[in-house]
Amino acid sequence: MVKNREKMKKSATLMSRLLMLSLVVIIAMGGATSCKSKKKLAREKAEAEYQAKVAQAKKDLTAMLNDETNWTLPEKQERLKTIKSYNIDDQDVKDLIVKVEAKLKEEERAAEEARLKKKEEEMSNKLRRKYQLIVYTLDNIAKAKNFDEANNQIEGALNLYATPDVPVLIIISKNKGYNDYDRPTTISKFMNYLKDTKKFNYDIESAKYNDDGKITELELIKK
Amino acid sequence: MKRITYLLILVFGLGLSSQLWAQDNLTPERKQAIDSLALEKVKDLSKYISIIGDKETPWSEANRVIDRAEELFMQGSEMGVSSLVKPEIKYYPVRKYFERLMRLNYNKVEIEWYDIEYVSDLQRQPDGTYVGVITVFQKFKGYDKEGRLIYQDTTKKDITVYVKRKETQIGGRLIGFWDVLLGDIRVKETTL
Repeated sequence: MVKNREKMKKSATLMSRLLMLSLVVIIAMGGATSCKSKKKLAREKAEAEYQAKVAQAKKDLTAMLNDETNWTLPEKQERLKTIKSYNIDDQDVKDLIVKVEAKLKEEERAAEEARLKKKEEEMSNKLRRKYQLIVYTLDNIAKAKNFDEANNQIEGALNLYATPDVPVLIIISKNKGYNDYDRPTTISKFMNYLKDTKKFNYDIESAKYNDDGKITELELIKK
Repeated sequence: MKRITYLLILVFGLGLSSQLWAQDNLTPERKQAIDSLALEKVKDLSKYISIIGDKETPWSEANRVIDRAEELFMQGSEMGVSSLVKPEIKYYPVRKYFERLMRLNYNKVEIEWYDIEYVSDLQRQPDGTYVGVITVFQKFKGYDKEGRLIYQDTTKKDITVYVKRKETQIGGRLIGFWDVLLGDIRVKETTL
């Protein structure tokens, strides 16, 4: 009887152990399955995100290539930099990057050219305004109706110059950075020349000023 | 040391030859600019002559213009003067010619130069000077007190022009310029 009871007890213990083991196995198996599924989900999610990134990159690069964005040049350059940082392993994207890079370089060159041209124009306008007074006074001497009027104009115009002997250089031709000049003269003689010939067919090439704002050298070019 | 010397000679030589090139091998554009410059000097002279001859020109202005006109000529240049009433052609030093012109015995004088053009293009001479001949037609009219035309003629004149490249320092810069100087003015024919 006792033997029988002990047998029963052992069986019960074994059963409970088996049960426990089964539970552990089930739990372990269940957990593993769940972990595997999470990883898969994460992988799938990452893959989807990557594909979206590739698609967006292609879309943006194509738009930049076809001038279909409202982005400024720095914005485009930034976007290209970001796309490049993704290191997308897709031949289409790689080809587009090369094309967009070349296009943006060209845009950058054109923008720099436009900036320089604008600066040059601003400078030229500034100089033109500055030289306007010189042209105006010299032209008035040439247009004077008689000697007295011309002499009055000369007297006034000479105030712009440091001395009546300020050198006047007249360019007769410009070729590959090389200037050919007429015989140099002085501003006083040149003004009298205008008075006598009654014509002023020159542009101002340059003018040098002293600290008092008086002209110390005048360079003209024949029109 | 020798190598450096040779190198310096080469560099200096190249610099010098490029300068010589700049003055000797004229492009058609540069040559044209010089042709025009010489032609313009003759046109300037025609204006000066007209101012000097004009009886309404103030004495001081006429004298100033004589100075300017004289500067256009090479030293010793002469001006031919002809008349329909005298067969001979007289030659005067240019300054004397201008002074005579200022004192001509007419009440009013009109002098006009026209058809100013090259008869012989500027040609480079061995010394580097360019020499050419420009022809002009001068229409002279002299009036008396009553404003009557008492004398007129048309004279064809040939002017020799000399153009030489020179250099001068201005404001620390070496300026290469073309110096145009007029030579003798010879009378070719005088007609009514």
